[in-house]
Amino acid sequence: MIGKRIDNAALFAVLSALADNKQAVGRRYAYWCNGAPALEAAVAAAAMTQDELGHARTLYPLLEDFAQADAAPEQVEPMTRTLHYHLAALDEDFTGWCDFVATNFLVDTALTTFFEAAQQSSYDPLRQRARKIVQEEQLHFVHGEGWMRRLAHAGGAVRKTLLASLQRFWDETLCWFGPADDPVMLQLEHEGIIDADPDELRSRYLQKVVPILQTLEIAFPVAFSVEKKRWEVSQALPWERWQAASRRLE
Amino acid sequence: MSKTEQADTESRRNALNERHVWQVYARRKYEEPLHEIGNVMADDVELAKVYARSIYDEFSWIEMVLIPRETIVTVIGS
Repeated sequence: MIGKRIDNAALFAVLSALADNKQAVGRRYAYWCNGAPALEAAVAAAAMTQDELGHARTLYPLLEDFAQADAAPEQVEPMTRTLHYHLAALDEDFTGWCDFVATNFLVDTALTTFFEAAQQSSYDPLRQRARKIVQEEQLHFVHGEGWMRRLAHAGGAVRKTLLASLQRFWDETLCWFGPADDPVMLQLEHEGIIDADPDELRSRYLQKVVPILQTLEIAFPVAFSVEKKRWEVSQALPWERWQAASRRLE
Repeated sequence: MSKTEQADTESRRNALNERHVWQVYARRKYEEPLHEIGNVMADDVELAKVYARSIYDEFSWIEMVLIPRETIVTVIGS
């Protein structure tokens, strides 16, 4: 691939969104490196911040290899990029530790679900990065799950705040995989860049988070389809607000 | 801050207070014995593992274990 321009608008769009989301998550985490409820949690937050920003840093340079970058070269450099293809829910600062945990548990896990689907990617640079990211994310998931348990079991105002935070990220995170007929994700699947279509990605994601939510008695509109043997969203997602180019809700 | 807000903040803080201490032991080489490198506070064992790995990451350990402080039996006290 070196020296050869890749002409693939779908892959360019998804890589841009992945890098922007990783960058946004890292920046939001960074504010909590000295604001976590305990010293131990602050150190873990700092380590996770470093990982997230590191992931963004390995993704942005890939954009330079694409023909699509020629139209606006400044948009492939994180320092000069003005487009923000991260979730709208990450636009604002976290209002508390519960937002950190909700992002860790819901958003980061969704991104990892995508990278897991890219571990056998036909696009070498993504395959290599995906394997390393998936490995590093294992610890992030354990952190998110552990804090979900802590906050949910704390009850009272703490649990209530956690539920509000989860609610804030739930719809948009599920939308990130795109509608069932999303031409971008479908093209990536068709080209062997990932091994699943949007609905399958969403279902794999739900398979990770729903059992934990159920254990904690946190209800979201999902149902297990016996016929398809997978978790599915049982309530319509807000596709009328979906922005296909930026992969976020308006 | 009103009394209600103060009580709310206090109850949240208490709800998230970690009460369990875990002694962290690790070694860098197979021929070395495990030795104590520090401790972490966490009520959740999985979080304790994450904390130990994040805090004591200065070496490439080949083994790291956690021992709940309350299970340590003192034989000779200082």
